[in-house]
This record gives sequence, structure tokens and C-alpha cells, in this order.
Amino acid sequence: MTNGWIDIKNTDMMLIMGGNPAENHPCGFKWPVEAKRNRNAKMIVVDPRFTRTAAVADLFCQIRAGADIAFLGGMINYALENNRIAKDYLVNYTNAAFIIKEGFKLPEDGLFSGFDAATKIYDKSSWNYQEGGNETGKAVPVSAAATPAEGHEAKAAVVPVSTAAKGAASTPPPPPSLPPNIAYDLSLQHPRCVYQLLKQQYSRYTPEMVERITGIPKDQFLKAADLFTSVRKNGDMKKVATIIYAVGWTQHSFGTQIIRTAAMLQLLMGNVGRAGGGVNALRGHSNIQGATDMAGIFDILPGYLKVPNPTDKDLKTYLDRITPKPAKPNEWESFNYWSNTPKFMVSFLKAMYGNAATKDNDFAFQYLPKVDRNYSWVNIWNDMYEGTVKGMFAFGMNGVMIGPDSQKNIDALKKADFLVVCEIYPDETSAFWQAPGITPDDLKQINTTVYRLPGAGFAEKDGTFVNSARWLQWKNAALPPPGDCRLDQDILAQIFLKIRELYQKEGGKFPDPILKASWAYTLPAHPSLSEVAKEINGKALADISDEKLGISLKAGQQLPGFAMLHDDGTTSSGNWLYCGSWTEAGSMQQRRGTEDPSGLGIYPNWGWSWPANRRVLYNRASCDLAGKPWDPTRSQVWWNETAQKWVGNDVPDFKPDSKPEEHMGPFIMNPEGVGRIFVPLGAMADGPFPEFYEPIESPIENPLHPSQSTNPVVKKYKTKMDKYGTPKEGYNIVCTTYRLTEHYHYWTKNNPMNVELVPEPFVEIPAELADQMGIRGGEKVKVTSARSDYIAKAMVTKRIKPMMVDGKKLYQIGMPIHWGFLGISEGEGRTAKMPANLLTPTVVDPNAYTPEFKGFLVKLEKV
Amino acid sequence: MSDRGTLRIQQISAHPGPVAGEGAQRQDKVCKLIDTTTCIGCKACEVACVEWNDMPFQTTYFDNTYQTMPDTDWNYWNLIKFNEDQHDDGSFAWLMRKHQCMHCEDPGCLRACPADGAIVQYSNGIVDFQQENCIGCQFCVSGCPFNIPKFNPNTKKVYKCTLCSDRVGAGLEPACIKACPTGCLHFGTKDDMKFLAENRASQLREVSGFQNAGVYDPDTIGGTHVIYVLHDATKPERYGNLPAKPRIPLSFTVWKDIFKPIGLFGAMLGFVGVVMHYVFEGPRREQPTPPVVRIDPPPPPAGKEN
Amino acid sequence: MATSADRFVHRPNAIDRLGRTVIYTGELLRHPVYTRFLHWMVGIFFFLALLSGFGIYLPWIFRFFTPLFGGGATTRFLHPWFGLAFVFFFALQAINWLQVMRWTPEDSRWMKHIKQYVTRSDSVESPETGFFNAGQKMQFWEIVWGCVAYVITGVIMWLPEIFGRILVAISYVIHDISALIMLFGIFFHVYLSTFGEPGTIQAMTRGTVSEGWAWTHHPAWYKAVTGRDPAEALAEAKRRNTPSPQPPRTL
Repeated sequence: MTNGWIDIKNTDMMLIMGGNPAENHPCGFKWPVEAKRNRNAKMIVVDPRFTRTAAVADLFCQIRAGADIAFLGGMINYALENNRIAKDYLVNYTNAAFIIKEGFKLPEDGLFSGFDAATKIYDKSSWNYQEGGNETGKAVPVSAAATPAEGHEAKAAVVPVSTAAKGAASTPPPPPSLPPNIAYDLSLQHPRCVYQLLKQQYSRYTPEMVERITGIPKDQFLKAADLFTSVRKNGDMKKVATIIYAVGWTQHSFGTQIIRTAAMLQLLMGNVGRAGGGVNALRGHSNIQGATDMAGIFDILPGYLKVPNPTDKDLKTYLDRITPKPAKPNEWESFNYWSNTPKFMVSFLKAMYGNAATKDNDFAFQYLPKVDRNYSWVNIWNDMYEGTVKGMFAFGMNGVMIGPDSQKNIDALKKADFLVVCEIYPDETSAFWQAPGITPDDLKQINTTVYRLPGAGFAEKDGTFVNSARWLQWKNAALPPPGDCRLDQDILAQIFLKIRELYQKEGGKFPDPILKASWAYTLPAHPSLSEVAKEINGKALADISDEKLGISLKAGQQLPGFAMLHDDGTTSSGNWLYCGSWTEAGSMQQRRGTEDPSGLGIYPNWGWSWPANRRVLYNRASCDLAGKPWDPTRSQVWWNETAQKWVGNDVPDFKPDSKPEEHMGPFIMNPEGVGRIFVPLGAMADGPFPEFYEPIESPIENPLHPSQSTNPVVKKYKTKMDKYGTPKEGYNIVCTTYRLTEHYHYWTKNNPMNVELVPEPFVEIPAELADQMGIRGGEKVKVTSARSDYIAKAMVTKRIKPMMVDGKKLYQIGMPIHWGFLGISEGEGRTAKMPANLLTPTVVDPNAYTPEFKGFLVKLEKV
Repeated sequence: MSDRGTLRIQQISAHPGPVAGEGAQRQDKVCKLIDTTTCIGCKACEVACVEWNDMPFQTTYFDNTYQTMPDTDWNYWNLIKFNEDQHDDGSFAWLMRKHQCMHCEDPGCLRACPADGAIVQYSNGIVDFQQENCIGCQFCVSGCPFNIPKFNPNTKKVYKCTLCSDRVGAGLEPACIKACPTGCLHFGTKDDMKFLAENRASQLREVSGFQNAGVYDPDTIGGTHVIYVLHDATKPERYGNLPAKPRIPLSFTVWKDIFKPIGLFGAMLGFVGVVMHYVFEGPRREQPTPPVVRIDPPPPPAGKEN
Repeated sequence: MATSADRFVHRPNAIDRLGRTVIYTGELLRHPVYTRFLHWMVGIFFFLALLSGFGIYLPWIFRFFTPLFGGGATTRFLHPWFGLAFVFFFALQAINWLQVMRWTPEDSRWMKHIKQYVTRSDSVESPETGFFNAGQKMQFWEIVWGCVAYVITGVIMWLPEIFGRILVAISYVIHDISALIMLFGIFFHVYLSTFGEPGTIQAMTRGTVSEGWAWTHHPAWYKAVTGRDPAEALAEAKRRNTPSPQPPRTL
């Protein structure tokens, strides 16, 4: 979330799409309700089904699963056509005015410039800004609207030349990088400026086209678009709209691009950085944000530092590769916060390897693994299926159930040598050999050794949860783990210590990373999580001081924040983003202050949010160019002229002393300093602008460009298990999967209370389709995809309507995922003993590698 | 289920004579406000109810709905009713209503109950069952316009929501209120809740376009201590058979309170009648009246055995 | 002397064989053992049902009557079973008496002159009065229909889950009314069989009545079982003015 849960109460308008917060985040959903009740905020819900969230919405649109980019693109088009945009914001806080290199091509035919059909990879060098400077008015006369911006720009023009020169001097030669001095046109008239390209790109997303693709009737779409963009009616900047989403957007073969589209719409309307605005991802588990922050993904290190690859010969090469250089119009400033990457990285290495990390050995950079391939979740299982991955440790996940194509995962495990599962219940992964359909003869063929480790539940451990709002909140253990169960950190520590012992005894190819890893816990076999949390925060390793900040620390003291990190080995920090969460003052995560002086729901003394206890990211953008809040009733931060400082109710997400005249961009994590409507170079695999592509299994050809129907850079998997269905083969119903309030993934099927609430799996079927097929509620139906079939009882409902998509009548069905072959009602024979993911295809988003669980094709039959 | 130590009783079922301690202490009327327009049907209230009241789990079955079970039960006092509401104009709503005891000001269950002290109404408005006095006749079931009291065939007693009288007696809010994540449930004095509810209803009418939004606090039973904000207060039936005009059957009001004593008196007139007859008319003896003659000893049996 | 056994169609059954009915000279058999057994069973369960029902009927008397049966819950539990037993035995009685309880034109005429019966303006019943007079038949049929009402409404109230609250609410009133009528009637029944018409109760204890009782209260029956004209018999008895041959009433 750019903002936070509580902040939703400050909004005037909500677009909830690709998420069902009332269902999956009922506790957080109090804030949308507060906004409705206290601010008369409107709620628009777009979903393939009429959900629990839709039940309290002001407007509901039923969309075809996977058509989100078309809908949002249509919104962008509507906002542009009707001038429902934040002009000042757009010009000054985004890259709308930047000019794109010649040679860049929009995907009228479905492909951006630079596509290599053989490798299915884009050459992204044309996706870049043009080098240059102020091109304002050179293309066409200056429009009146741009004038206010010009004032600042003129003043700022003199100052930053030297900075620009510095930037230019340090620019390395290829691979292609952003130009240090970007060409721009503040009048937004240049035909290759981002704004014009944006207009051109989404002019194809007319309401008619939106209707054809999404199945949402034109008048309904217009209603939604008008309502959402109404916050910028007549250029008024006071009101704010938020966009709220969850994995309904992520889990597509173009998931990242859907979120991009939302971000662009929000930038266009000036909603990012503002209280009640932003682009807000609702994380699906209590600590998934923490897992991501702490490198739960193969291609990042903690704090979103990029993982080294084999070309990184030494620390310098690596840091040069990953540390961005400022790239901006010369007349503007850019904080480019990622320029501090060396400080973050060296401090991280010091936390990892302690005294073994010295300046002489590149701070033990070589101990880090160099990742040479895609180790994303689906690929690991695919590799296991193909026999290259021989064993697996599965902690805190039920792999057989959560992945796409459960059968493939079960078959993969059959080929593994060993499997270690740490869980609190016997789960399907550790019992994969009991899956339905495995005969005693099959069982003899399975040689996988399965180790089941009894872990501890969340209430049996202390430690932090990081919520969707980036808040670290400490929890205490409610009760000890029962029986032989052990704390997960103890299990991991003891495995580690045993491995270290083995390395010590037997040596090995490269024992140093294991032998020299820092393991400075009081009880090495039982590391306390508060010690770990303190280690993650980091400490000073020598006496250090910072005059500008007025802070000096003795060696061994906890760091007060990431501004104190050094790249000379005098500080350590396990995750720079969490630096400041456990300071000399104690655990910030355990704070429980309920004061909220601003009334904005900031609660500065409750817990701690990264970065730097900032509640709303990019909050500089909540002010106009002069540093005054767009809406004085929701003042987050502002420029204090007397103090010559940015101050506020929230922690300013900005260089504290950067005067408004300097025109420093509010999006300090981008080298440009501004929000990216156009994403240059390699940040996105599949295009600098989102383009609508059909899901891999789609009922129609893409009406925008039938020749390039699906995402061109998505690779299909090649094993014999990976089959993809088409309408021609009879798979003509769109199916989606989801969770229920009453259940938590695959745990609560073991809990009688939850099972009482929703006892059995079901398939939600539109009443009209059920009538046609003679299916009555409660009767069993079989859902078949190209991969497998799934039997459950039918829930015949009026909450899913048939829809007209590209002139064809289309039905959508959906099913919750919570049942498998182990559990209470499974034992009672009330379920089909099948994982819903038997049906889902193995295909992933090219940016985030998330599987496409939402929107695949099936057939439906009565059993 | 009660907490007589802290709550004052106002009415007792089938209790002749005054209520002990009545009026000794003034208590505010309490009220639960359920804003159906912000209910998301998450069932947190259901779980909180089961857990606070320590009720045994029961097996449920899929029934083509998100609703946990068709109706409340003796061990399930709080149930969200899910209703798919398709309108003729094509608009559609998914109505969710938390269904539980309404704690009527004039409780039909209490009216119907024949057992002394099996049902009490506290002076704060909570209607509570005292199972130790319950005789299991289930008249309360028929007296209730909302179909709330539920019979446990094993204990032969009737159970229902207590509005957490034990918690309220200790100054806490009911468990369902505590658990509600969206703030669709509120608890406070009846006056405050009415104020909140009316405000919300007018907001719905003026801002959200629900012309018929209103508050459900039916005066046919003197109002309730659980009130609803409805999108359409003119058609409460849509919310899973919420009666527009709930009524206590006349059999438990007019009949029970007026005609029953009269009827009994009427029947006793039969006794009076025969006594009067004996006094004024005397018996009819067989004719001719046998002279009072003492035969001693009685003659030997002359009849035959049958 | 002819006995009633000749005239009153009665096949001795198992229960009859268990008991003894001794008929003295000058007596007539009125109720065989089976009938008397049923009568008392009906009576016992009637009062059990009445008393247990009473507790539930009116709050004021709840605490006086329910302790008789072990408290409210047991009272409530027992009442329907008492009621069922009452109805069961009465049903047998009704079958037993179906013949004699038939309404006849004589009964209609009797009803027209009920005032004379109440005010005792005649010393004996009208000569048309048979085994049962119209008042008795009325009570009988009231109980028959009352029982029907009891069973229907009682079962509804017993199983409210099946029948729903409205039916229960209606049943509740009908059940009560039926009980009130029966309660009203029982006073007359008890009075007339004891103080109101002495010599009656032995018909339900020993099973016999005196001939004098018979020609006084049920002349037509007397005629039917003895073949003698009741008026003549009465006149003869008066003439003889001798002590009745029957034994003294020593109940």
C-alpha cells in the first residue's frame, strides 16, 4: 500500500477492483465503511462476481475475469477526454512532460518496439527518454494551462546545472541507461511526450471497446468512469480517490501491468501521495508484506536490493549495476534515494557476515549466492517436475495446494528425493502420496522421503507482523506450542547449526558462507525474535556521528534510522527499510500510542511503519508546487517557510530541506524524481505502457489486436502436464478462484468452527446457466479444465450474470479454494477431496512470476 | 444465563404479584444497532456468539447459500441471513442481515411463557431466558414474532440470544458488537442508537440514493432493543422474512391476560351452580323414597356373579 | 327375576372376567367391569391432566399445581401423556357406548323440558328416558369432540417445530376452551352422580343400581331391562310401602 489501512477513511472515492476486501480483509474493511459513513465517500466495485464487497458498494460492474486493463485503460481515456485530470500534478510530479526517444512504437498491433519473436523478449533500448532539455513550446505553442508550472521552472532553471553535470560525468556507458538530462515539454504538446503517447495509447480504449472486452455495458462503464473521475471535476484538487486491489489483479499473466494501469490513472488524477488516495495492495496474509520486505522472492535481498548475478564480479560492479543515477530535466531536482544503495548493501553484508565482512574482502560480497536463473515458485516446481530439483523444504506453505496445477506439483514431489514440511497440521503437501487417485501400486513407485516437522502457529510465537500498510507490529505469544511442536526459528536455527557442524567436520567446496555467517544470538539454537529484530534494525559497529542530523552513536548502539547507514562497514543492518524499528529507545514495533492529533489516522506512536515511520508514501505530492496541501483539511506535510523545512503530521517522504523552488520531484525512489506514467527501459518486461492482453486461456481473440492476443513475453511451460485449453475444444466458461471470509487458506478446514460456517466446497454458477443445464443448487457438478477436473456442489446464484463479450454470450463461474484431501469435513466425506488448483494453468506474469489463477477456461457438466 | 446481581428485573414471565426490586434503580434502556447497509456478512458476530457462550459446534451442510444454516438454533443464536434480492428493474442487491433476538419492549415470548420466572425482562430492556425455570413448553416459540427461541430436545429447554446480559451486566458490550469489524454493529442507550440510526438513514436517503431507507424499530411490539437500519424500510421482508409489523398472537395477550381468568371463573360457575342447585332444589332421590330402615345383618347375596 | 344381562347386550370380556359384579335382588346391572374400569381410568387421567394443565394454564396457580407433579418441567412433560391416556381410555369408552349414546327424538324432547329436570318439578324422569338421558349424552358428545380438539391442538402444541407459531397460538386457545368446557361439565357430572342423584355412584363402583333408581332416573331403560312398566312398578312400590328389597345404601 502506498497509503495505509486507516488512511482509507480519508478518501472521497474508492475503486475496489481485483480484490474483495469485505471477504478477505473484513477487519481492514472498516475503513472503507468509515469513509462511506463519515465522508459520504462513494465505492465502486468491479469484479467478476457480485461479492460481499459489492453488497455495500454504491456501484457494481461485473467484469470478465482478466479484462481489467481494458477497464482501467478506458478510465484513463475517459479522464483524458473529459479533462478530469490533475494538470499541475501531472506536469510537475509525473513524467507526463518528458519526451520519449524516437523509435518508440505503441502497440497498435499488440507489440511495442523492440520485440524479438524468437526469444520472446523485448529490446527495451527504445523505451527511453530523449536526451535534451526544455522543449516546451517548440513543437506547438504553449497552452495556457502550463503557465503556472513555468514560473517555478524558470526560477529553478539556474540552480541545478552543477548537479546535472555531476550526474552526466558519472554516467557509465551501455547497457542503456536513462539520460541524465531528459528532454521535456511542459505544454505537453510535443507529439512524443509521454502525455501525448498516453493519449494515443488509450484513445483505442473507447467505451465501446471496453464493453466488447470487459462485458460491462457501455452505459455502466461510463457511469463508473464518470463517478470515479468526478473527484477531478473542473480541475478541483481537493477531493481524493483511492484504488484498492489484491490478488485479483496480481494473479494474471499481465498482473503487474494491471497495477501499473491503476498507478497511471492515479498519477493522472493526482491521487498518489495524498491522504485517502494512492494505489493500495491488500496483502492476503497477515505477514506477506514482511515476507516480501525480507526477500521472500528469489530476485531480491532484504529491502528490495537486487540479487547479485554471475556477471557481478565484485561488489563495485554489482553496486554500479544496481545503483541508479539521477535522470531528470536539468532544471529540476531529484533526490534519487536509491543512490544510497551502497550504504544499504554494505550494512546488509555486515549484518550477514559480521566480522568476516571487511573492506578488503568486499564485505564478503562473494559469500552471497549469484542467481543465474529464475527461481520463482512455479519454476522451482517445474524444475522438480523435470527432475532438476531433488529436494524441498516447505515451511509455512502448502505447496501442493497453493500452486497452479496441483497434479503437476504432486507428480513433481513423486520425483523428489526428499521433502521436509514444517506445518501445524498434517497438510496435503506432506501427504501428497495420499492424493486421490494414487493406488497402492503407485505408492510403491514413490521414493520420496517425507519429513514432517511440527511447527508453531502464529499465536504460539512472538515477533512482528508487517501488515499491508507496512506497519511492523509486535505480537506476544499467546500460549506455548503444544506437544512436540517447536518454534519455527528454533527448527531453522538447529538445522543451520547442524549444517554448519557438518561443514566444520567435513569441509566442502565453499564452506565460508556457512561457517562465517553471523549467528550472534544468546542461545544459538533458540534465537529470540527480539534479537533478530534488533539485528535487522542494525547497529553502529564503530563510533559514528552525523553533524547534519545531529546524531552521534557509540559502537554497539542501535541505529535510529537508515539515514545513519554507512558504506564503509561501520554500520550493520539486516534490512535498511526496517532500520529505525528497534532503536536505542527500544522496540518501535511494540509502541501502542493511540494519539492521533491530526485526525488523519496517522497514529504516529503506534507500532512503526517503514520507511522511517512514514504512513503515506510520496506524501510530498499531497502539496502543490509551493508546498501547501492541496486540501488544507487533510494536511499531511507542508513546507514551513520560517523553519525552511518540510514538516507535518506525517513524516515527510522527501528531502527535508529541499525548498519548493528547487522543484525536487516527490517520487524520490525514482531516479527521475517524478511518478512514472511511462516506465522507461527494463523495469517492466512487457511494455512501458500497459496494453490489454487476453489471459492465456481466453474465450475470445483480443479485439484490439487478434494477431497478438496474449501477452507476447509470457512463456508457456513445456512439460506434458502443461496443457492450455481453448474455446474450440469446448472450454468456453471463464472460471476464477478465490477465498472466503470463513476460511483461511488450507488451515481452517481443520477447525470445527470454520467448518461449521462453510462446511463444503462449492462452485458458484450463474442462475441462467444452471437453468439451461438443469442444475439445481446443491447438486454436484464437474468442472473440467485442460488439466484436470474438479467435482463439488453447485451454488446457483443470481450474483453472477451472463455477459456479452465481443458479441458472444459468456458465462463465468467461480470456486473457493479452501478444501483438499485432509480436514474435518473431508474426513466426513462431505467434500470432493480435490484441490481447486487442479484446474489452474501453469503460466506466470513475466514481471512478478505470479501464476494466472484468475480467469482460465473450463467446461461444466452435471455429475 | 442471567446476571441478576447487576441487572434489575422489570418483568418476569408468569409471575403473580410485584417484581422484587422493581424500580429500585433506574437503568438506561440499552439497544443494539445493526446497520445492514454496512454489514459485509463476515460472520464474525456468529463466531463471537458461539465462542462467548461456549456453545457446542454442530455439523452443517451446504445449502446453496453463504448462510451458515437455515435458521438460528438452540446453540446458534446469531445468524446472518443472506438474501439475493433481484429487482424487476434489473438492479440487484445482496442483503445481509444479522438475525438474533430483537429484545422486544413487549416481548411475545415473555407474554406467552406460562412458567414463573422462565423469562425475565431487565429494566435495561434485555429479555433473558432463565433455563432453570423453563418448563420446555415452547409457548415462547409461538409467542415470538421473529422465530427466535429454539428448543433443545436433549435438555428440553429453550434458548436464545441474551444480548450478553452477563457482559452488559459487567459494563461490557455484547460479544457480537465487540467482534464486528466494520462497525456495522453499535451498542449503547436506546436513545443514542436511535439517533445514530436515524442519522444514518437520512444519509442513505440523501447521499446514497436509497429513497426508502429507514430504521426498523417496530412499534407494534413497543419497539425493540435491537434496531436495524435498512436500505428499504418499507420492505423488511426482503431481509430474510423480517416482519413489517411483528405482532404477538392475540392468544398470548387478549386471551391469556383477559379471557383466561374470566374463562376459569366461568368454569367455576359450574361448581357454584351445582352447589346452588343442591341448596335450592335439592337432590332427586329414587322413588319412592325408601323408608329409612336398618336391616341388620344384610341379606345374603342373592345375585349372581357376572 | 330377569336381570339386565338378558337385555343389555354385553359380552363379557377379559377385564370383565377379572372383576366381580354382584347383583343383589332388587338391583339391576348398570355398568359391567370393563365400563367401570374405563370410567375410572378416564377419570384419573382427566384429573391428572386437569391439574397438570392448570399449572400451565394460569400463572397465578402455576406454583400451586406444578409442585404436585415435581415442578414445572415435569408437569409440562407429563401433561401431554396424561392427556393422551385420558383420550385413549375415553376413546375405548366411546366405542363401548357408541350405541347407547345415539341421539334420539326422545332426547330432543327431553331437552325441551330440561327446565323441569333442573327444577325437579317431576319426581321421576320422563318415561322416555333410556339408559342415558339427553344431558348425559350431551356431556358424552362434548367430551368426544373435546377430545378431538385436545388431540389435534395438543399435538400441535407438542410439536411446534412442525406446525409453526400461528397454529400453536390458535391451538392454545382452543385447547383452553375445551378444557374450560370440560371443567364446567365435570362439576355437574360429579354432583349428579353423588349428591344430586343419590344412588348413582354405585353404578360405577359396584356396577349395579336399585330398581327404584332405575325407574326414577331411567324409566325407559328400566322397562327395557325388566319388561315392566316403570310407572306401574313405581305405583306398586308405593302401594306396598314396604321397605325396598334392596340393601341399604352403604357406600
